[in-house]
Amino acid sequence: MLGKLALAGIKNRRRDYLVLLAGLTMSAAIFYMFANLATNTAFIKANAVTSSASLIFGFGAVLLILITIVYIMYANSFLLSMRRHDYGLFMMLGAKRKRIGELVFLETLILGTVATVIGIVLGLLMSKFLVGFLLDNLGLHLAHLVAFYVPAIIATAVLYVGLFILASLFNLVHLTRTTVLKLLHSDEQANQTQVKPFRQAVAGVLGLILLGIGYWALAAIKVLQTAAIPLALVTITLGTYLLFRATVLMFIRSLRKTAWAKKHLNSFLLGQLNFRVHNYTRMLTIVSLLFAMALGAITVGSGYHRQLPMMAGNFGAYTIAVHDKTAQEQRLIDRLDIRHQATYTQKRQGKMVYYNAAELAKEPFEQLKMTTGDNVKTSYVTESIKKFQKTGPTDIDFLGLATTSQRMLTPKIVSASQFAKQSGKTTTVTTVRVKDLQRDTPTIKKLAKLERQRFSQPAEMTIGSYQSYEMMTGFFGGLEFMGYFLGIAFLAMLASCLMFKILSGAPGDQRRYRMLYKMGVRYQLMRSGIAKEIGILFLIPGIMGIIDVLFGLQMFKPLMQSPMSPYLGIGSTFAIFLGLYAIYYLITLVLYWRIVLPKGAVK
Amino acid sequence: MTTTNAVVSVAGLEKTYGKANERQYQALKDINFQVAKGEFVGIMGASGSGKTTLLNMLSTLDTPTKGDVIVNGHDVTKMRGNQLADFRAEEVGFIFQDFNLLESLTAEENIGLPLALKGTSSRVMDQAIHEVAETLSIADLLQKYPAELSGGQKQRVAAARAIVHHPSILMGDEPTGALDSTSARELLDLLTTINQKQAMSVLLVTHDPFSASFCQRILFIKDGQIGSELRRENQDRSAFYQEILNELGTFNE
Ligand SMILES: Nc1ncnc2c1ncn2[C@@H]1O[C@H](COP(=O)(O)OP(=O)(O)O)[C@@H](O)[C@H]1O
Ligand SMILES: [Mg+2]
Repeated sequence: MLGKLALAGIKNRRRDYLVLLAGLTMSAAIFYMFANLATNTAFIKANAVTSSASLIFGFGAVLLILITIVYIMYANSFLLSMRRHDYGLFMMLGAKRKRIGELVFLETLILGTVATVIGIVLGLLMSKFLVGFLLDNLGLHLAHLVAFYVPAIIATAVLYVGLFILASLFNLVHLTRTTVLKLLHSDEQANQTQVKPFRQAVAGVLGLILLGIGYWALAAIKVLQTAAIPLALVTITLGTYLLFRATVLMFIRSLRKTAWAKKHLNSFLLGQLNFRVHNYTRMLTIVSLLFAMALGAITVGSGYHRQLPMMAGNFGAYTIAVHDKTAQEQRLIDRLDIRHQATYTQKRQGKMVYYNAAELAKEPFEQLKMTTGDNVKTSYVTESIKKFQKTGPTDIDFLGLATTSQRMLTPKIVSASQFAKQSGKTTTVTTVRVKDLQRDTPTIKKLAKLERQRFSQPAEMTIGSYQSYEMMTGFFGGLEFMGYFLGIAFLAMLASCLMFKILSGAPGDQRRYRMLYKMGVRYQLMRSGIAKEIGILFLIPGIMGIIDVLFGLQMFKPLMQSPMSPYLGIGSTFAIFLGLYAIYYLITLVLYWRIVLPKGAVK
Repeated sequence: MTTTNAVVSVAGLEKTYGKANERQYQALKDINFQVAKGEFVGIMGASGSGKTTLLNMLSTLDTPTKGDVIVNGHDVTKMRGNQLADFRAEEVGFIFQDFNLLESLTAEENIGLPLALKGTSSRVMDQAIHEVAETLSIADLLQKYPAELSGGQKQRVAAARAIVHHPSILMGDEPTGALDSTSARELLDLLTTINQKQAMSVLLVTHDPFSASFCQRILFIKDGQIGSELRRENQDRSAFYQEILNELGTFNE
C-alpha cells in the first residue's frame, strides 16, 4: 500500500524525475567515456610516449571522480527535497519509520542503478560516435581506442552504484531522524536568516585568505608537487563558498536599501536574488568550480593544440628535408607557404658525406639559434662558408641531412673542384622551412609519407621539425584530448546542475509571476526581470570561474615551457567557451520563460 | 443611477469557457450592473456560481465572450497587451483569498510595488507607504517578511498594497476566506473604513453572508446570472445580515 502511494508520488513529479534521471545518466555516460580512456592501458601506451601520460589521465580521473561525488550529492539532495513532504505525510498518517526508511533506500538505489545501467550503455554509444568525431576534428590519430572496454564498465558501475548505496544510506538516516513536522514544512521554512555583520566579515576575510592559499598552491606546483592539487581544491572550494556567503548577500542587501531598489521591478529582482543566492550559495560554488575546470581544461587543451607547431619549430632549422625529390614531391612542395628553401648535393661514401662549399656559399645553411633562460627566443641564422665549415659538422640539423639506420654520416665540406672529383653515391637534399606548420601540415604529411615509402630507412630519411611535431602530437595527444574531453564533460555537468536548481525553483516562481501579472506588471518587464535574475545567477559563478582559471593556469606553466605558455591566446578560447555558456544561458532562459510567465500575459 | 458617476458599468456581459470545437460551458449570462463612485457593493453567490469569473472580466485578467465592461471611463474590452497591464496597475486594487504576497519581499517592499511599477520617486513612495500603514495599523510590521506574519496581518498588508496607489476601485475575491472570524471581522471593518474615509469604491465577492452584511448593496448571482439585489439603506449591520439570510433562503430554494 505504502509502496503504491510512494509510486503515485513519483508519478506526480514525473518531469522532475526525468530531469534527475537524465542528468545522472549523462554523468554516468561521461564517466564511462573517460574511464574508457583512462583505464585503457593499450590506448595510453600506444599514444603517449612517456609515463607522464598515465599520470595525467590519472589526475583527470581523480578530478572527474570528485566532481561526480559532488554532483551525486547534489542530485540526491534534489531527490530528497522532492520526497520529504510525501514521506512526512505518510509518517503523520501513521506509517512506520522503518518502512519509510526501506522505501527511501530502495527508491534511491533503484533510481541510481537504472541511471548507471542506461548511462553505461549510452557511454558506449557516445564513445563510438563522439570520440571518433572529436578525434577527427582534432586531427589526432589515437590507436587502440575501442568503445567497449570491460574494465571501464566495471569502474563506472562500481563507482556509481557505490555512491548510490552511500546516498541511499544517507537518505535513510536523514528521513528516520528528522521530525515529521520538519519534513512536512520543509518548503515553507523561512529563507530569511539573520545576517550577523561581524561573522560575515570574518567569513569574507577567511574566504579571501583560503582563495589566496589555493591560488598560491597552484602557482607553486613545482615545489608542492602533487600535494598542490588537493590543497588547492579544498581551499578554493571553501574560500569561494565563504566569499559568496559573505559578499554576494551583503551586496544584495545593501542594494535593497537604495532608491534604485524602489524602481520598477528592482525590489522584486533583489528580493528574488536575496532569496535565491542564499539557497544557492553552495550550488554557485560548485558551478563556479565546474566552470573553472571546464574552461581551464579547454584552455589548456586548445593551448597545446595551437602552440604545438610553434614548439616544434624549436626543434629544427627546417621543417622537412626531401631527398632526390620526385616530380610528385615537387608539386607538393610548390603548394607550401615557404619561408626558406635550399637544395644541396651530397656524395655519400662509407661513413662520410661530402658537400660542395660553393653550393653552401651560394645558399647558406640556416641554423637554429635559441636564447637560454626563461623566455626562449628562436631565430634562424646563416654563417659565412668559412665559419660554417667548422660549425656545420657539429650542427645536429646539418648532420640529420644524411643518416642511415646505423649512424649519422660525418659531413665534410669541400671545395667545388674537390667535390667534383669525390667519388660516392650522389643525392640531392632539399630543406624546406614553412611559415605556418599548422596550415601546411596536411601537405607535409603527404611528403613525409612519400619519403618513407621511397627510402628503406624511412624515419631517418625525414628529419626536421615536422618529425618533432609528429612525435609531440603523440606525446601531448592524450593531454590535449583530455583537455577537450574534460572541458565538455564539466560543461555538461554544470549545465544539468543549474538545470536541477532552476527547474526545482520554477513552480514557486510561476506563482510569483502570476501575482505580478495580476498586479498589472507589463509582460516585457517580467521577461526582462527573469532574464536579469537568471543572468545574474549565471554571471556570479562565471566571473568567479574565470578568476579561478586565470590563477589556475599557473599550474600548467611547468608543463608548457616557453615559448609555450598556458596564457597564450586564451582570449579566443575564453570567447568560444563564454559563447557556449551564453547559449546555455539562453536555452535556460527560454525554458524558464515558458514555464514561469503567465499564459494570459502574452503580448 | 446615472452612468456619469459610475465607476464600473457592465452591460450584456457573457462568458463561455471552452473553444468552439471543445466542450463549452457558459459561466456568465447577460450580466448588467453598475457600481457608483464611493459605493461598497457585494456580489454574493454559491461556489461555482461565476463570481471569480465575473471579477476576472472586470479586472481584465480574462476576456469576455460578449458585452461591455467600462471601468472608470475605460472600455476594458477594447484594451490590448500593455494597456491591460497598465490598466490593472493603475485603476484596480486587488485583494485575494490567498493574500498573493511575494514572500521574498518585506511587507514594506510588497506594499511599495504598485508605486515602484509607476516609477514613483522613493521619497513619495515612502510617504505613501507610511500613510497607508498608519490607516491599516501595520506600521510596526513593515520590515517583516510574509512568512513572519499571521493570516490577518498578511491580509492587511495585501489590502495596503491594493490601495497604496489610489486605484479607482478596490476588488476583493473572498478576501476573508482564509481568515479566522476575528481577523475576518477586522479586515471587513478596515474595508469599511477605507470605503468611507477615502471614498474608495469597493467590490467584494463572497459566498459568506457575514462578509456580505458589510456592504451597502448586494447583487446575488446564481448559475452565471444576477438574480436579485438587496440594499442596506439605513439598517444596522445585524438587521441587514438577517435580511441577507432571509433572501438566501428564498434565492436558493
Ligand atoms: N478556466 C475555466 N475553464 C472552464 N470552466 C471554468 C473555468 N473557470 C471557471 N470555470 C467554471 O465556471 C463556473 C464558475 O466558476 P467561478 O467563477 O470560479 O465560480 P465561483 O468563484 O463563484 O466559485 C464553474 O462551474 C467553473 O467550473
Ligand atoms: Mg471563486
